[in-house]
Amino acid sequence: MTDREKAEDIEAEAARWVWRLDRDGHTPEQEAELEAWLARDERRRGAFMKAEAVWTLLDRARDTAPPAWQAAEARRSKRESRRALLAGAGAAIAATVVGGGVLIWREDQFRTGVGEIRRAPLKDGSAVVINTTSAIDVAFRQKQRTIRLKEGEAWFQVAHDVQRPFVVEAGAVRVRAVGTAFSVRRRADGADVLVTEGVVEAWVDGAARAPTRLTAGQNAFIDNSAAVHEAVAAPAVVDRKLEWRYGRIDLAGETLQEAVADFNRYNARKLVIADPGIADERLYGVFNTDGPDAFAAAVRASLGVEIEVRSSEIILGRRRAS
Amino acid sequence: MTPDRQRIVNWVATEIMPHEAGVRAWLRRSRVPPDEIDDLMQEAYAKLVGLKQIDQIQSPDGYFFQTVRNLLTDKLRRAKVVRIEAVMEIDALSVCSDEPSPEQVAAARRELSRVQALIRALPDRCRRVFELRKVEGVPQREIARRLGISESAVENEAVKGMRLIMRALQEQGADLGGDRMRKKTNDRSRKG
Repeated sequence: MTDREKAEDIEAEAARWVWRLDRDGHTPEQEAELEAWLARDERRRGAFMKAEAVWTLLDRARDTAPPAWQAAEARRSKRESRRALLAGAGAAIAATVVGGGVLIWREDQFRTGVGEIRRAPLKDGSAVVINTTSAIDVAFRQKQRTIRLKEGEAWFQVAHDVQRPFVVEAGAVRVRAVGTAFSVRRRADGADVLVTEGVVEAWVDGAARAPTRLTAGQNAFIDNSAAVHEAVAAPAVVDRKLEWRYGRIDLAGETLQEAVADFNRYNARKLVIADPGIADERLYGVFNTDGPDAFAAAVRASLGVEIEVRSSEIILGRRRAS
Repeated sequence: MTPDRQRIVNWVATEIMPHEAGVRAWLRRSRVPPDEIDDLMQEAYAKLVGLKQIDQIQSPDGYFFQTVRNLLTDKLRRAKVVRIEAVMEIDALSVCSDEPSPEQVAAARRELSRVQALIRALPDRCRRVFELRKVEGVPQREIARRLGISESAVENEAVKGMRLIMRALQEQGADLGGDRMRKKTNDRSRKG
């Protein structure tokens, strides 16, 4: 592009226009001349809009009341009090439950739908964050706190209690902690375990092999035959893989295929790779778990492939003629 | 100015401009070159000119972020060589496009009350021009007479002053938008 007008020159010219209109008013001649100037470059319209906005803003030097913001604040406080009301109602319900079942550790069940990420406090002071399409049963007994991960993935922040170990059952895999934080993702042939704090022990129910100790920053796949596929200690990797707790997918060199599989856990509208040639392309970036379309747009931009957005799926890459 | 136009201008002044600093800070962090940032901002404001309805826009700052983000995506798509990181980072924006935090609303409101301070901070003659025109409502011709300078000199002072004020507005609030976007990084450092 040759001789592209600089933004700052446009800005100066826009300010001049505002000043002149303030002086002369909006005469038809002025309007026509202004429109001719504006029509030459889209950026000029933006610069002029902003200059007018600043000019308007400066009127507040005279009348200082900012009605728009007051209104915005009024809306906000109304919303917040509603939120507080809801929170209050939730607490009341919880209290009733606790009142009815002191000391008898009630079985709890949690289930999440597609794309749902749920945080829940547990009765012992622990907290759980449950990922998309997951189900857990909670059974707290005198001697042991047991969580059955029936499906999916969850991260646990375990309240310290040496008398009652905290055990997560994921199929045949068992993970035990005393006071620590870790996640377990159940898979068909075993379970992934990621440790964010402290130490956990993982083993397979009925296997002769001694439990494997995993410490903060480690992540491992325990397969159902009790083999441990231990990854190198990499706290950054553990953090990244737990970004789902914040509703995000953090890619750092995962293949498109892996990324697509991850997105599809969270969304009813599935991503489909139509061109096998791009499946192994490696990607970087942070996305919202519920934003497959934004991800697709980024794929289109970075890999230079076409995408097709349909109601039920998003096709990445052109389908090869069959 | 038509009433519709004036409504949009007011809306831009109160609901959009306070967030420009945050958007600029994000663009800088995404390593978009400064001259491209200026271009993008003007193009983004240009998109707002054409709005037919502003009442339905519940979160103007989110809307503005999204507008800039779309412009940037388009730009990157048209570019022949694309830094993959740049494209991906665009998506970090969606994290920020929810409602402004109470701190932001408060800070943006402070910014409005700072208008007088903005005028006071101008170089002497510049400041007089704005005080006379905006605070006292003196007509331009009369300003020239009172200051003993030509009308075109007054015009030049006005243009200079407008630009200094714009500069101040778009840089001063840099922290508030930035905070919101640093949220993610904070989460990480806390975990790490």
